[in-house]
Amino acid sequence: METSELNRILETYNTKLDQNLSLNKAVLKNIQLEKSRKKTRTILVYRTIELLFFVFLALFLGNYVATHWSQTHLAISGSIVGVFVLIALSGSIGQVALLQQIDFSKPLVDIRKKIELVNVHELLFVKLVFLSAPVWWSYSLVALDAFLGFDLYPHLDPAFVQRYLVLNAVLVFPIIWLFNKLTYKNLHIQWVGKTIRFISGTKTIKALEFLNEIEEFER
Amino acid sequence: MELSKKDRFIQLIDEHKKIIYKIVNSYCPNRVDRKDLEQEIIIQLWSAFDAYNTDYKYSTWMYRIALNVAISFYRKERKWALKRDFIDEVSIFNMETNNLEQELERDHDIKLLQQFINNLNELDKALILLYLDNKKHNEMSEILGISKTNVATKIARIKIKLKKEFEKNRDNGNK
Repeated sequence: METSELNRILETYNTKLDQNLSLNKAVLKNIQLEKSRKKTRTILVYRTIELLFFVFLALFLGNYVATHWSQTHLAISGSIVGVFVLIALSGSIGQVALLQQIDFSKPLVDIRKKIELVNVHELLFVKLVFLSAPVWWSYSLVALDAFLGFDLYPHLDPAFVQRYLVLNAVLVFPIIWLFNKLTYKNLHIQWVGKTIRFISGTKTIKALEFLNEIEEFER
Repeated sequence: MELSKKDRFIQLIDEHKKIIYKIVNSYCPNRVDRKDLEQEIIIQLWSAFDAYNTDYKYSTWMYRIALNVAISFYRKERKWALKRDFIDEVSIFNMETNNLEQELERDHDIKLLQQFINNLNELDKALILLYLDNKKHNEMSEILGISKTNVATKIARIKIKLKKEFEKNRDNGNK
């Protein structure tokens, strides 16, 4: 097909549209446009609530560590949980910042990328759960002490604690490797795609696939 | 007499109605949903009307918003667009003939072109719609957010695909 032929098709198309298409101004005039402007994007509200929740949790854990400073095992556990909460908090701050930058009148690729990064947010929490696997014990120690006032640590067999710590230390590197692997850049690896689909669902995988398409489009 | 803001908006939509019509038809395979998409595009355009940046052409601004809404709609991300809360099942377009779509479908080449566009991915679809609207490479680059060189390369690739599609169809027709 030559450009001239394509132009001829387009000309016919545009002529038909010019002859047949008109705007129903009566409908447009009746649209309650002002009302629609007051609507807020619910997703921003959700992410802000999430952010406030993590701020609260971070403050709570900061206070917990300070008040349990003399009990080393609880201070360490609280600090470990605190680190993960801070990572989640920074993720939520990033999301709110991204959402505020989403403006449909900006270039397409930039906005699509931001939207998809918001859509894959759930993956961060899944990755954090994986990443914190070697230190899950700290969650239970803090939760039992903070909510039930029960300190589990003195009741544990020291030999068991030792074995557990060694096993978890060994787990750290494979978990970090897995954490880095689970990104949209590795979707071409079958097990990565399957794992993400299994743990985060189809919505996340679709968003990740689209991020790949956007990157491809930018090249 | 000076026009009200809403009248200016309607006038603008009227001048560029073909942009909305083509985007809606290309991104919404389901005819029933097209009215929803039209409405969502109108709402987003109105929401952004005050913040319109005069550095850009109206068509650039309109393309960016309409394409972003259409892609979100296509990907079933209605949460990104404002929720519709006004009219139901009423199109913003009047058709002078009983059915413009049937009229367009009767033209074999237009139908084939439309089918070709419908089969492209969301981003290539945006690119070809801009190309078919005779947009210059720099304007396409501003709308899409990719470099002019990239625009040129991608258009060349899509044109080759389009050529093959038409040739294949003609070969099938001759058999």
